[in-house]
Amino acid sequence: MHVSNTINCSGLSTAPTVLRIKQALIGLPDSKLPLSVLVDSECDCARLVNSLGSTAGDVYLASDIRQIPAYLSAEAQRSDRSADTIHRVS
Amino acid sequence: MVETTGSGTTSDSETYGLTPEAPDFAFDPGDPWTRTFQMGLERANLQGKTVYEVGIGTGINAAFVLRMCGVSRVFGSDLDPRLVELAERNIHSLSPEHAEQFQPVKGAVSLVDTEEARAKISQTDVVIACLPQVGDPRDSRLAAFREAQSVPLASGADERAEDHIAHYYPWAMFDEYPFNAVGLGLNEALLRRIRKHAPKAEVVMNFGCRIGTDIIFDFFRANGFEPEKLASQMVRQDAGTDISFFVALEKALTGTGLEKEFVCEFFADEEGDMPLSACEAQNLSEQNPDVALYHEVCVIRGRPTGA
Repeated sequence: MHVSNTINCSGLSTAPTVLRIKQALIGLPDSKLPLSVLVDSECDCARLVNSLGSTAGDVYLASDIRQIPAYLSAEAQRSDRSADTIHRVS
Repeated sequence: MVETTGSGTTSDSETYGLTPEAPDFAFDPGDPWTRTFQMGLERANLQGKTVYEVGIGTGINAAFVLRMCGVSRVFGSDLDPRLVELAERNIHSLSPEHAEQFQPVKGAVSLVDTEEARAKISQTDVVIACLPQVGDPRDSRLAAFREAQSVPLASGADERAEDHIAHYYPWAMFDEYPFNAVGLGLNEALLRRIRKHAPKAEVVMNFGCRIGTDIIFDFFRANGFEPEKLASQMVRQDAGTDISFFVALEKALTGTGLEKEFVCEFFADEEGDMPLSACEAQNLSEQNPDVALYHEVCVIRGRPTGA
């Protein structure tokens, strides 16, 4: 069962974002944490973190794909990635 | 204008004089979902347009838009290669005068993922589709999520019916799409492909609204389409379709403070006056497996923004 440690939550409001994060965390080994989460720039991250409770520490929120570690490492190898393909770089 | 007209006990074949060949591996063309979809298609101003149906099924909708909506041409494909052959036969028998206007894309076509399908979608004005919104109960990642919420699978839900792919999709396979979280991953994959290969095309899609209409509208906007509800009808929850996915979504939000922001929309009555959450609906179903549960089915047109 392959589970990515980078997910795109663009366009999702807070409740489905929490659902997507919880779904992604299931089966993700500790060695792959934190889970990188791309959110919209208008995302209320404080509220999102509050809703995640104790699991918030396992999550890295970013509103710009260039802030995502997996993206940065992939960019070092290839420079033509789009936001639509971040799932592939984890 | 959107009408709610009850659960649709009159079959399409009775209404329109169309009686398609419908083997067990095809979605039942007499299902009220089909009637709702056709109500929306009637209101979609399809006259003279080229339409592509993704998931052609029996071909009942293709025959309908050729006969009743005045479309100029219909393309169609399906993941199950038997269905496009069936659709071709049905259109020839149901509407022989329009048979030449139907151009099947043969073979097993997932969404529009063949060269021929992409070529045809690029010539299309309106893409129509009614795709599954429930993950396959046997999907291992979905099962892990369900088990984490302590939600059991309904009895028999893991048995594969002949028309399985008309009801469920491989959930983990579409997890790159954000709205897969609420069961819209397959539909989102289609919208992305349409934006890429037919950026000016409209879409007319049929949805079960068990996750609520607001989030479906968010889904359209996030993918570059302005949504408009064309038709709506209350239908009985298909007894063979598992709702544990929706229960797991609600339970996953327990303790987050977001419990009221996402509540599934089932009903205990056909009129839609007695709303039920997915948890409440499942409790009723466990007490009485024959209990009637309802949900809204609606047809939404998406117009590309910025096209």
